[in-house]
Amino acid sequence: MELTSHQQSFWSKYIFSTDHKVIGMQYSIMGIIMAGVGGFLAYIFRYNLAYPGASIPLFGHLSPLQYNAFVTCHGMIMVFWVGMPVLLSGLGNLLIPLMIGTDDMAFPTVNMLSFWIFFVSALVLLASFFVPGGAFGGGWTMYPPFSAGGYLNRSPHFFTALFSGTSLMILAVALEFVAMLMGGINFVVTTINKRAKGMTAFRIPILVWFLNIASLIFMFSVGPLVAGAFMLLLDNVVGTGFYDPARGGDPILWEHLFWFFGHPEVYVLLLPALGVLAEIIPVFSRKPLFAYKPIIYLALVSAVLSVLVWAHHQFVSGIDPRMATFFSIGTILISIPFAGIFLSFMATLWGGSISLKVPMMWAIGFIALFLIGGLTGLYLGSNTFDIYAHDTYFVVTHFHYTLFPDVFFGFFAAVYFWFPKFTGKTLNSALGKLHFWCTFFFFNGTWFLLFFNGLHGQHRRINDYADFSLVMQEPYMTFEKISTVCAILLILSQFIFLYNLFTSLAKAKKPTAEVKNPWNSSTLEWVASSPPPHGNFEKYPEVYRGAYEYSLPDSKEDFLPQSESGL
Amino acid sequence: MSTKQPHLSLEVNKVPEGRLGVWILIAGELVIFGGLIASYLLSRLRYPQWSEMTVHTSTLIGAINTVVLLCSSYTIVRAHEAAQKLDVAKVTRWMSLTVLGGLIFLIDKSIEYTREISEGFTFTSPQLQHSGNYVDSLFWSYYYIMTGLHSLHVLVGMIVMIIIMVQIKKGKNLHRVELAGMYWHMVDLIWIFLFPLLYIAK
Amino acid sequence: MQIFPENVSTYGQKIDDLFWLTSIFVGIAFVISLFVLLYPLIKNNHSRTPKAQHMTGEKMKHFKWILIALVLLLGSDFVILYSEHDAWTEIENVPAKADVHVGITARQWNFIFTYPGPDGILGTADDVVIDEMNSSLHVPINKNVVFELRSQDVIHGFFLANTRLKQDAVPGRTQLRWFNITKEGKYDISCTQICGILHSKMRNFVVAESEEKYKHYTDSLYNATGHKTATTNN
Repeated sequence: MELTSHQQSFWSKYIFSTDHKVIGMQYSIMGIIMAGVGGFLAYIFRYNLAYPGASIPLFGHLSPLQYNAFVTCHGMIMVFWVGMPVLLSGLGNLLIPLMIGTDDMAFPTVNMLSFWIFFVSALVLLASFFVPGGAFGGGWTMYPPFSAGGYLNRSPHFFTALFSGTSLMILAVALEFVAMLMGGINFVVTTINKRAKGMTAFRIPILVWFLNIASLIFMFSVGPLVAGAFMLLLDNVVGTGFYDPARGGDPILWEHLFWFFGHPEVYVLLLPALGVLAEIIPVFSRKPLFAYKPIIYLALVSAVLSVLVWAHHQFVSGIDPRMATFFSIGTILISIPFAGIFLSFMATLWGGSISLKVPMMWAIGFIALFLIGGLTGLYLGSNTFDIYAHDTYFVVTHFHYTLFPDVFFGFFAAVYFWFPKFTGKTLNSALGKLHFWCTFFFFNGTWFLLFFNGLHGQHRRINDYADFSLVMQEPYMTFEKISTVCAILLILSQFIFLYNLFTSLAKAKKPTAEVKNPWNSSTLEWVASSPPPHGNFEKYPEVYRGAYEYSLPDSKEDFLPQSESGL
Repeated sequence: MSTKQPHLSLEVNKVPEGRLGVWILIAGELVIFGGLIASYLLSRLRYPQWSEMTVHTSTLIGAINTVVLLCSSYTIVRAHEAAQKLDVAKVTRWMSLTVLGGLIFLIDKSIEYTREISEGFTFTSPQLQHSGNYVDSLFWSYYYIMTGLHSLHVLVGMIVMIIIMVQIKKGKNLHRVELAGMYWHMVDLIWIFLFPLLYIAK
Repeated sequence: MQIFPENVSTYGQKIDDLFWLTSIFVGIAFVISLFVLLYPLIKNNHSRTPKAQHMTGEKMKHFKWILIALVLLLGSDFVILYSEHDAWTEIENVPAKADVHVGITARQWNFIFTYPGPDGILGTADDVVIDEMNSSLHVPINKNVVFELRSQDVIHGFFLANTRLKQDAVPGRTQLRWFNITKEGKYDISCTQICGILHSKMRNFVVAESEEKYKHYTDSLYNATGHKTATTNN
């Protein structure tokens, strides 16, 4: 009956812990902190967009150079230092070992190292704000020659160039990639090797499947960008000409290397959140997940397709028009497997017995918003329409309608769902509902009208539209102001969550009956105590059935947990 | 239910974790080098005049290095054999030879780099650039980044092997010899691609 | 509220039409999907249906609905792909009959316009270069204007919203694009690739005018002193 009980000091228990739950928390908390940074940057430049030249409360005047840097860093931070740690590393670390019924990851020390490398990468990125010249301001896409040490950022001295905003950003991203690679290896090896007895492939919960597929996509698409980033760093620091047309280099090479990874990356971010939906929707519908196996196959098809569509980001970059047609076809077709997954989630609802508890509200809200984001992708997948829409606010709105629900609604759904398990306490559900409605409403207020700004020709990454007649007219100027007001309210709404979080954590632990399996879910993590001890399970579970056995017609039980025999 | 976790996987998959982890690492590394090699190839196809630059790489040293790496891949296989027989002394002997192979590789590379640098061929080859020959300087940028990154992997492999040799002195963790071997074969494999691309294709 | 800015090019309407065609599919898909998402929340609320039906999707009578939806989506995909192709080849390939040749070179932080000069050929000694912020490129209406797009430094984006045309200007490449404007007027050119501190100030114009006014402009341009010509251009 002994759990792995070795003596743990404060340092080994909380700081350099190899326990996957602690590491998962560390990633999640880091992600939340970085979301604060990214959100603050957005507040600043959104304020500037509504009131150009004004003195921004809590900041002051925003120069064009700062605007460019903040827009760039907002994007970088949200993708790599919020989305990835919160959805992939956070959820993966917290849940994979518990959901497959094991004690920890396959390589716990590597896991611990991965977090600290990630932590350092965040520090390197934040440091780039404070070096001479400030953070890099050429878009998160870092297109050379602008990013290759040209013209404004270039310094002839090796160390000044090495510690320039551009170089530090490249180094930060590279370190983040190393951390994610280490984590990804852990996820995949753990899932293959450490599953509980009886957990065959098609009894694995979808979240675990999707976290693994996401990890594999990441690991096999990031390589060319690592190579390309190394080349870009050398261009900056040493003065090579990989991307310098005067020296036979080609800026478009960077675009290909970047987007070859950049596109699959959005699916790396999306799949874990879809996994969260797959766990939540059956529980609150008391119905099996509809089309479990096809969902897995559809995800695998999407994973393969995801590396074949990248150049839809480059339709107007000067690629061969025939190549563009090929990528347009792939891009439009990739909507099919994802539509299949979403339709299956929605089919799970039909004929169910639905409770709209807080996690379920976030899940439904996710789907509603992602519908808009995904469908607007259909416009952009067409190379012809993209000629007009590329680099306008239509694109910006599209990717916020996909990424925001993905990262934030997905994360909050997960938090409200698994909070009792990991803390032994409960979040206030009235505040949770208020948090949801405010976020949903203000998100739409921030973004929906900007579709029209984009369609009217408003291009992006501009700090002041004074010279552009297409934008400096009504209703578009008013839309900008509405957007900014709602953005501020959106950010403020998150404090409802933080208040709920801290006050709930401050309370005493709840009785076991309330927090062990409050949602009556069938997966393995709910067998462990709340919170699970080091080693997770007093008695390791064995698995007798799939993960979504709810409302079986010939059973008097409402649901059949995976680990209970004899039912 | 039991207190000791009954592993499903060892009955069904029988793939020890270390090996799986290293396979995935290798696949990831191959994609990185694949990206570099693909970028190089695209440029090479655009600039057939680079064949004149490859004249300046030493095919002799490159060939010696290829043989050295292949031999060291052989020695690490022998080390693995010895590890399976739990013969720590033999393992250490064969692994040391592998590390020696890596060292010879790096020494050869240094000699080669020194000569190339003295001829003015560097990452940026300023002499070539001053004479207006920009495109050729790009060849050297690729040469140094590809062989440099590869050499870094050789060095890391050597360090890891030394660490493992220290760890196995007490007769534990001998399975790590095989893992080091897998990594080393990857390093060898990458070189087998780089050698013809940078040395032979003239 | 006008959704799009005024279209004044011969091919711009095709882009607008593609938008509306796609909107039909998107609109139908959105309405149906929202219904499928929200209806069960009411009809199958646990107070109405205390016991759920056990549907796993393994039975074809249930799964067929997913398949039907996917087939319909695939069909709309093909309609979109088919409709877009003609416009794409038309916009991306310069027409055989080119009436006017100009050069547009992007740089930090304005677009440089090169007129071919009296001989009508770009790249000769009599070319006239206008290199100023906020300057205008004059073109005649109802003529195929073919331009050579370049960049002097970093990647910029040439965007002429009223024609719907956009193309990145990439250093090291010369790209040929074209437009044919059907209405006189002064139209904004903006830069759609972030290119530095004055990216927001990078705005020039295209002035489309009658052949008469256009000829008057180019005559005074070619005969004036003080404008840079290709021979004096550094």
